[in-house]
Amino acid sequence: MIAPFYKYGLFGDSVSLIVAFVVGIGFGFFLERAGFGNARVLAAQFYFTDLRVFKVMFTAILTAMLGIFYLSWIGFLDLSLVYVSDTYLLPQVVGGLILGFGFVIGGYCPGTSAVSASTGRIDGAIYLVGMLAGLIVFAEFFPLVEGFYTSTPMGRITLPDLFHLSYGVVVFLVVIMAVGGFAGATWAEKAMAARKGAPKA
Amino acid sequence: MKNFWGTLTLNARLGLVVALLGLGALIIGNPSRTSGVTIDPQELARIVQTETDHVSVEELADWIIQGRADFRLIDLRSEAEFTQYHIPGAENASITALSEHGLLRNEKIILYSEGGIHSAQAWFLLKAREYRGVYLLRGGLDEWKEKVLFPAIPEHPTPDQAAAFEKMKQVSTFFGGTPLTGTREQSGIAVAMPKPAMPAPPATGAAPGGPPAKKKKEGC
Repeated sequence: MIAPFYKYGLFGDSVSLIVAFVVGIGFGFFLERAGFGNARVLAAQFYFTDLRVFKVMFTAILTAMLGIFYLSWIGFLDLSLVYVSDTYLLPQVVGGLILGFGFVIGGYCPGTSAVSASTGRIDGAIYLVGMLAGLIVFAEFFPLVEGFYTSTPMGRITLPDLFHLSYGVVVFLVVIMAVGGFAGATWAEKAMAARKGAPKA
Repeated sequence: MKNFWGTLTLNARLGLVVALLGLGALIIGNPSRTSGVTIDPQELARIVQTETDHVSVEELADWIIQGRADFRLIDLRSEAEFTQYHIPGAENASITALSEHGLLRNEKIILYSEGGIHSAQAWFLLKAREYRGVYLLRGGLDEWKEKVLFPAIPEHPTPDQAAAFEKMKQVSTFFGGTPLTGTREQSGIAVAMPKPAMPAPPATGAAPGGPPAKKKKEGC
């Protein structure tokens, strides 16, 4: 096994920054090419008129999941060294809801706001400023929320651990969910287009 | 078959490939084969022979004083013994719980027990599970007590031995030990063991020299 490269010491801290930069630029580039620099495209998710974001994100999840599964199966990747962040159930549910509200209201998620701002959109730039301001406020008031922030800790836990399933079963279920999701999304887009068709504003 | 493939849209083809890969995953079950045991007897024998897997108590003492944080020190004794005394910075883990202790395969792991037998056995178990950097504290805690906590000067010291003893006296004091004044035979072993809290583990950054321990923060 030779991957993860960083964990096996194939490159050090400084090179890891370059790798992160290249990966980050690539990520931003493909988000932009998928049209995610546009708040209208992103907000369309919530009205089921254009589920492009859902499809792109789920494609990415499937690609990464299958890649990790099979690379680990052939012995290239040591799965136990792949970073999994700790679960704090309640604060993460609340945090997810807050992010969702922000997404619907502002039309961006953190990554896409950076993409949008870098393509020169004013709304994206304002979103980014707001996000930085929120970060500062959060950091300054962190002692007040720290108790909640670290509540309901579950440690490093994954779905296979939680449900006592093999990784393969979980991979299969996610694939089924995604393929079903793609079919459902395409159907929803058509249905919404048909509904909008007559009284098109 | 070829005609069937030809009638599909690109999306349907991708969907089909993904579904097949998913089905394959279902059959494979668990991807990592590291839970099993694989050993290379020749390689292990070579390591044992050349003793490259040993860390001496003096080396370990130096590392702790320097505040090095690139290794994990595992105490394999019972919890009661651990509470009574342990080498600063050590974590307590029983051999049976070792696999759930959150050790990483690329970490430098130093094992110690009372003597050396338990740690040697745990060393083998970890090696078999493909942990790379597993080391043994030579002589275990017994030697730590003898050489680091309560060093004694030989009966007829050569100048070299006397100098080494002077150095060990400082190390001993750092770890809260008591250098014996006479030779071991004269002083007896009636000296008190230091409390485990003394000295503070240098991981807190209070150690003389050396950078404080840093923990890499990961995540997105």
